[in-house]
Amino acid sequence: MMKIDNLHASVEIADGVEKKIIKGLTLEIKSGEVHAIMGPNGAGKSTLSYVLAGRDGYNVTDGSVELDGVDLLELNPEERAAAGVFLAFQYPVEIPGVNMNVFLKSAVNSLRKQRGEEELDALGMLKLIKGKSKELGISEDMMCRAVNVGFSGGEKKRNEVLQMAILEPKFCILDETDSGLDIDAMKVVADGVNSLRNEGRSFLVITHYQRLLDYIKPDVVHVLADGKIVKTGGAELALELEEKGYGEIVGSDEEAA
Amino acid sequence: MSLRVLDYSALPTLKDEQWRFTDLQRALGDSLLNASPQAPDQVLIHKSHGQMSDKAEEVVWIGENGVHHQPRLKIVLEEGTQATVIERHSGEGAYWKNCGTEIVLRANARLNHIRVQNDSVESMHTDMVHITMESDARINCFSMNMGAKLSRHDIHTAINGSGAECMLSGVNLLKGKQHGDSTILMEHVAPNSVSNQFYRSILDDQAHGVFQGKVHVHREAQKTDGYQLANTILLSQGSRMNTKPELEIYADDVKCSHGTTTGQLDEEPLFYLRSRGLSEAQARMLLVQAFVDEAIDKIKDGSIRNQIKEIAKQWLKEQLNI
Repeated sequence: MMKIDNLHASVEIADGVEKKIIKGLTLEIKSGEVHAIMGPNGAGKSTLSYVLAGRDGYNVTDGSVELDGVDLLELNPEERAAAGVFLAFQYPVEIPGVNMNVFLKSAVNSLRKQRGEEELDALGMLKLIKGKSKELGISEDMMCRAVNVGFSGGEKKRNEVLQMAILEPKFCILDETDSGLDIDAMKVVADGVNSLRNEGRSFLVITHYQRLLDYIKPDVVHVLADGKIVKTGGAELALELEEKGYGEIVGSDEEAA
Repeated sequence: MSLRVLDYSALPTLKDEQWRFTDLQRALGDSLLNASPQAPDQVLIHKSHGQMSDKAEEVVWIGENGVHHQPRLKIVLEEGTQATVIERHSGEGAYWKNCGTEIVLRANARLNHIRVQNDSVESMHTDMVHITMESDARINCFSMNMGAKLSRHDIHTAINGSGAECMLSGVNLLKGKQHGDSTILMEHVAPNSVSNQFYRSILDDQAHGVFQGKVHVHREAQKTDGYQLANTILLSQGSRMNTKPELEIYADDVKCSHGTTTGQLDEEPLFYLRSRGLSEAQARMLLVQAFVDEAIDKIKDGSIRNQIKEIAKQWLKEQLNI
């Protein structure tokens, strides 16, 4: 269970200058559930994902975040990954010169080491990576290239799903995974995510549009505005938002922000 | 045998434009200033027509405490010949290795030159390299600079024949109070030739790096392609880098570019890797290694390339505490 309680966070926008973005956010996501967070630009969606993953420069000023009773705010990004947090980036980062295979091997074994498990040998690793990439329809050619370098928008997002499949997290954040994708690519990515849904894993899907939620069906939909959850409902809330826009629900002031 | 004591007042000072970042006299100190220069050690590698060998030639220069060495390496490749030369520098104690390297490539000759400078951290290393190239000659020089208290690697290339190709690349790995200077003058005298400079530096502690690269395209050297790139990653607050890229172009139909960057490791890829479970040290190692390997990849020979990558890897591991 992911438990976010009265979270306040600010972002360092210049040396010593902080801007409050998250202003008292409370959220509970039970294992196996998929929650969606929708909201207008500037509501704090991406900030929330970085705060949960532990990025430098995103400072929590109040509140708590616990995953299965583990206080995440005490942990650095790699320790959060070991605790089961996975962030699928809105813009996956290109890393020239670092080969996909080397990257995945380092990640898997580093997580296993942190979790007190035995590291995988070369053969075990090959099997794991080959198996998962085949399931997701990822070419071997892509695995020989540098991480995200020269990948199309669709390939980058599929690569995020592949890492999710290989690293087996407990809690996944999908930060605007639909951005930059055409319908076909979105279906492929959604299918990948759906295949990873299980009772021990929960998802937080961050998106502007209802479209992605046609493919990844959420159990609960939240509306985030000005750093707080302002409305919560079932999947039908996403449809309502699509129809009426954010203005009516969050008030026109917040929409402008 | 001892030569007469050099006239040290003739040594360059910070007032000389080409030496403004590298204080040779100060670094030499009294003991080395007073050491008598040894007679030059000379090595000649000469390939004449019909002499073909795939085997790499190795030249090893070892420095000894208190000595002013004068290694002289001359490589002459006659028309159509080729060679691979590996030059290794090491030593113990405080010494001055004042090298002179002359490379002459006749028409269509091909040289791969790999230099690993790992002199003692108390030593001084200066190397003046002169390269002359005739038409369609090709040279691929790689230099690893990781040793010496102060090093200066001067490369002066004269591309005198058309269709020639000159590739210079290097990696500087400097720590402690090391000072490393790579200074290049690329002269395109004849038309239709290509030159490329590709340098990557990692500086830690209080190390000081210098890159001065100049591409000089003469009036007759139309259709020249001249590129220059020098990137540096600073691992510490105390390290610094001076770069001075220059283009001097007198022909009107050329393609030339230069670029330099100096900075810390990017935060974004670092966070991306850490969010996947890599420790901060592991993530830094992977990123810095990839950065350095891109320059080492310019070496054509696979086994030498791997050997150099391994040397760089060990150095990085030590600096990044892995």
